[in-house]
Amino acid sequence: MHIADGYLSPETVVVSFAVAIPLWVYAFRKLKAKMNEETIPVLGALSALSFVIMMFNIPIPGGTSGHAVGATLIAIMIGPWVSFIAVSLVLLIQAVVFGDGGISALAVNALGMGLIASFSGYYLFELLKKYKFAPFIAGYTSLVFASFFVALILGIQPLFWSHDGTPLYFPFDLKVTIPMMVGGHLLFGIAEGIFTQVVYALLKKEKKVTYEI
Amino acid sequence: MKSNVFKILAVMVLLVPLGLLTQNPAWGEWESDYYIKILGYLPKGMADAKGVTPLLPDYSMKGGNEVLWYYLSALIGIVLIFAIFYAVSKIGKRRVSKS
Repeated sequence: MHIADGYLSPETVVVSFAVAIPLWVYAFRKLKAKMNEETIPVLGALSALSFVIMMFNIPIPGGTSGHAVGATLIAIMIGPWVSFIAVSLVLLIQAVVFGDGGISALAVNALGMGLIASFSGYYLFELLKKYKFAPFIAGYTSLVFASFFVALILGIQPLFWSHDGTPLYFPFDLKVTIPMMVGGHLLFGIAEGIFTQVVYALLKKEKKVTYEI
Repeated sequence: MKSNVFKILAVMVLLVPLGLLTQNPAWGEWESDYYIKILGYLPKGMADAKGVTPLLPDYSMKGGNEVLWYYLSALIGIVLIFAIFYAVSKIGKRRVSKS
């Protein structure tokens, strides 16, 4: 789901940053409000978990692979705004240090894997939290939603930005991106669901003591 | 530190080479050759793309041991994340004490 440099039209890049920057500013304030000596190590560790879980590439039939993101776990532990900024930070490090995802695509990547995954995961969990498998369902669905957003952004590139019928940026349209991206993430969502369920079960006793949403 | 989250993180880091078991790229994250093979050309925007040159592209170092660099990449990422969180908290504090 990490869009690379050169995949998005300049217009897409500008609009995505125009949407993301005010949200980052707001989320950053929320983050700072929650930071204290007790929460910083946990915040760091949950963000680090997101970074590491994204390194577990899972192959699927058809020759591609994918991975979990860990946004829902952070969202249900410390809140969706903090999760959004934490995943954005992880994506920034991945782009700059490891060439995983582009700098120009950072806003789109952060809106998908960060914002949409965090908020959909958070609210689904809140809705279902009396059920045992709420973390699994929230995690699973959040990844599918994020992949739908990324498929949408990639899929509109050839529709709007082609020259004489030749795509200038990402070349495959919605008829390809939606089934391929969302289809794949219907499987990778299982990994996100299991990760969220298991780690939440191990951490939930600490939640009440350490932080409030 | 009392939280279980550090134990979970340690276990995940130990297991991280499992992520190398597949050589399959993520859908849409192909090398330029793939597009040329499938489409017969590389879209202009992709060919002209300028990004920063990453320090450790694909979590590896050319000629280095794949597993070792995957471990090192995980540790580098984690150290950077903690460094940034601590830096942000320091900035926040300084502003509070000044005002």
